[in-house]
Amino acid sequence: MMQTLGPILNSAVVIMTPLLLAATGGLFTELSGMLNIALEGLMLIGAFGAIVFTHYSGSMFIGILAGILCSMLLASLIATVSLYLKANVFITGLAANLLVSGLTVVLSFKLFGNKGVVSFVNIPQLPLLHLRWIEKIPVIGNLLMGHNGFVYFSWLLLLLCNFVLYRTPFGLRLQASGLHDQVLVSLGLRPAHYRFIAFLVSGFTCALSGAQLTLNLGAYVPNITAGKGWIALVVIFLGQKRPFGLLVAACIFGLADAFSNFAQGSWDIPADFILAIPYILTLVAIIGVSIYTKRKSRIG
Amino acid sequence: MLMHDVSEKAYPNDRMIRAVQMDNITKIYEETGTLANNQVNLVLHKGEILCLAGENGAGKTTLMKILYGMERPDTGSIAIYGRRVHINSPLEANRLGIGMVHQHVMLIDDFTVAQNVTLGKEPIIHAVAYDEKRAEQLVEDIILRHHFSIIANQLVSSLSIGQKQQVEIVKMLYRNVDILILDEPTAVLTEQEIRALFVTLRSLIEQGKSLILITHKLNEIKAISDRVAIMRQGRMIAEAKTDSVDEYEISRMMMGKNVGSNIHKPSPVLSGRREIFRVSNVSVIKRDSGNPLLNNISFSSYSGEILGFAGVGGNGLTELEGILTGMLSVSQGTLEYRDTDVTKADTRKLRAMGMAYVPGDRLHTGVALEATVGESLIIHARHRLSRIGFMQRKKLAQYYRTLSHKYAIQGSMHMLTRMLSGGNIQKLILAREIDQWRDLIIFSEPTWGLDSASSQFVYDQIWLLKEQGAAIVLISSNIDEILSLSDKIIVMHRGKIVARFNHSTNEVTKEKIGTYMLGLAHQGATDDD
Repeated sequence: MMQTLGPILNSAVVIMTPLLLAATGGLFTELSGMLNIALEGLMLIGAFGAIVFTHYSGSMFIGILAGILCSMLLASLIATVSLYLKANVFITGLAANLLVSGLTVVLSFKLFGNKGVVSFVNIPQLPLLHLRWIEKIPVIGNLLMGHNGFVYFSWLLLLLCNFVLYRTPFGLRLQASGLHDQVLVSLGLRPAHYRFIAFLVSGFTCALSGAQLTLNLGAYVPNITAGKGWIALVVIFLGQKRPFGLLVAACIFGLADAFSNFAQGSWDIPADFILAIPYILTLVAIIGVSIYTKRKSRIG
Repeated sequence: MLMHDVSEKAYPNDRMIRAVQMDNITKIYEETGTLANNQVNLVLHKGEILCLAGENGAGKTTLMKILYGMERPDTGSIAIYGRRVHINSPLEANRLGIGMVHQHVMLIDDFTVAQNVTLGKEPIIHAVAYDEKRAEQLVEDIILRHHFSIIANQLVSSLSIGQKQQVEIVKMLYRNVDILILDEPTAVLTEQEIRALFVTLRSLIEQGKSLILITHKLNEIKAISDRVAIMRQGRMIAEAKTDSVDEYEISRMMMGKNVGSNIHKPSPVLSGRREIFRVSNVSVIKRDSGNPLLNNISFSSYSGEILGFAGVGGNGLTELEGILTGMLSVSQGTLEYRDTDVTKADTRKLRAMGMAYVPGDRLHTGVALEATVGESLIIHARHRLSRIGFMQRKKLAQYYRTLSHKYAIQGSMHMLTRMLSGGNIQKLILAREIDQWRDLIIFSEPTWGLDSASSQFVYDQIWLLKEQGAAIVLISSNIDEILSLSDKIIVMHRGKIVARFNHSTNEVTKEKIGTYMLGLAHQGATDDD
């Protein structure tokens, strides 16, 4: 049992990281009162940008920075169009997602003459962190060690996010713009301002989330995000819009995914069905949570 | 003598200092083409309470929004303490020492009092962090200094409306304002809360603040203000010392004509009264909170009788409205409508049986703002006006013409409902619901936010319905309204019935009802029904 549990836990942590990162940024837009469905697109452009620029510059650091820049540019475009030009944020987000999925294919073909999988053999590998004394602890050692920098950064970011949202004036105002934006207006503050920043934050974290996907793989696969941005949205709701709720929710999805990867190789169940497990879980979780919250607020 | 003595003896002279001077203010709302302010002048002296009076739509709120930087005037100038200023935002107004308490409280329910007060001007610790402790300390200091009944770390959602208003005032005091504008501060308060508010306002004046109160309640103008400024249709009609005018003069100036004393005490209709709706031992319990929203309520509504429900917001009136109209299901107890059990019936069924309903939230429940006026009017009769699923346009137009004529609804049937004024929207709802009525009609806050002409129209319609034998349930937080219309009065507090009065036989006063509304008294198990 231990032999299988260890690797499952370890891969669960790796799988949950992009979800957690995207959800962390998405939490900012969500609390500011904007439904940010562009998480998927922001991830994808970050993923593409990061690996392409790593390839050209030879430096992973520059690659990641460039990925972040691409994603934040797109985020500011979405924010400008929906906040200042007053377009419907849902439509803008949808447009952004479609734009990115098309743009990456076009660019991939232009740059590498390939619309399919582009693998980069010359780029450096993501370094993994190993600390012997922690690794010796059973189960937890596997959980905590042997991951790449993104994993640890995502945890750090979550702590930072918790601090910013609940312990700073900015966080207070951000929440206020989501709860009752007219209050801010009556105080002479601009809700759009805080929402814009929230979009930038979501661009930042989504880029990291996407970068981890491609850099970990050393290749760009078309549509590599495969709905993870949408699941990140689910993670936000499932996590009750609380930073540590996100951690728990992302963990559940990470485990489900890791389990389905494991089951695929070991059990005699159709692979398609097993691969669908995370998505079925999404559905079940949403229904479960909405029943729960309805119960909680129901009268009579 | 002129030089040094500006401390205490200066008080009478203070009155001559012009804290605010607004000259020739004109404001046109381009979207609707209304001339909200037409060359308005206004002066507020330091240390006085000025009542800005006028009907709805007279331009009072617009003028004050201009002073508070929320609207920009098209022409005119503003001087604060003699210095000419341009106020482009509330933030700037705050810097100039001007604060405003809005009619609808601008607070975030999920935040604490301290968070609400300090929002936008938060104390900082460790360079970036919000200093919650200091915020609570600063707010608590203001609360203590002014004897408010709130606590700094309380959640706003747990406060009464009167307390929420205190939070708004504290919010302005925290910003060190010395010119405070209050927009209809008493609209949602009980008699006792109003008195407490007035004490607060007086103490603010003693501390050297200057106040502008927007109101259209004559007795309040007389009770609190030093001077009164009266607006009508965007113009400033008069400014006067309050002592020098009486209530009739003020009302005449507000309305342009004398108001007849149309409010008459209702005559009881006793002959052949039938029980129409019966509520027996009904409770509504919210799952995760201990306190029931409605607690063991029983009453009956009879034909030809107006049954008034009084109470402060948050004490079960909304839930009562909900259960009577099938919008909210009961946890315990039964509802009977003409001897049929309707405990589980939904709104659709109740309406089919003949219930009509004029909702308190008229903008959301009463009409669809994005629908046309015609659509809002015929929504209940669409089956009658259509054949094999298609609307018959001719019939519809005919129907609209009849009703809009009868109820003097302004605007055309193809206009969007949201373009109508509040009074016209209410008329539209009345027209529809009276057309729908068979034997039971429920009114919730029927005149809330309406001017006196529109209110009078609503009252006339209610009396007419009563004469026609309708069983009328009137839910209202306006005690005057309850007193002048109801045959029987039930007072609610914390979801319970705390008092019943038979208005046609007993002497009931505003104070008496107010006492029960605030839960200061409780009638025994017996009632004089």
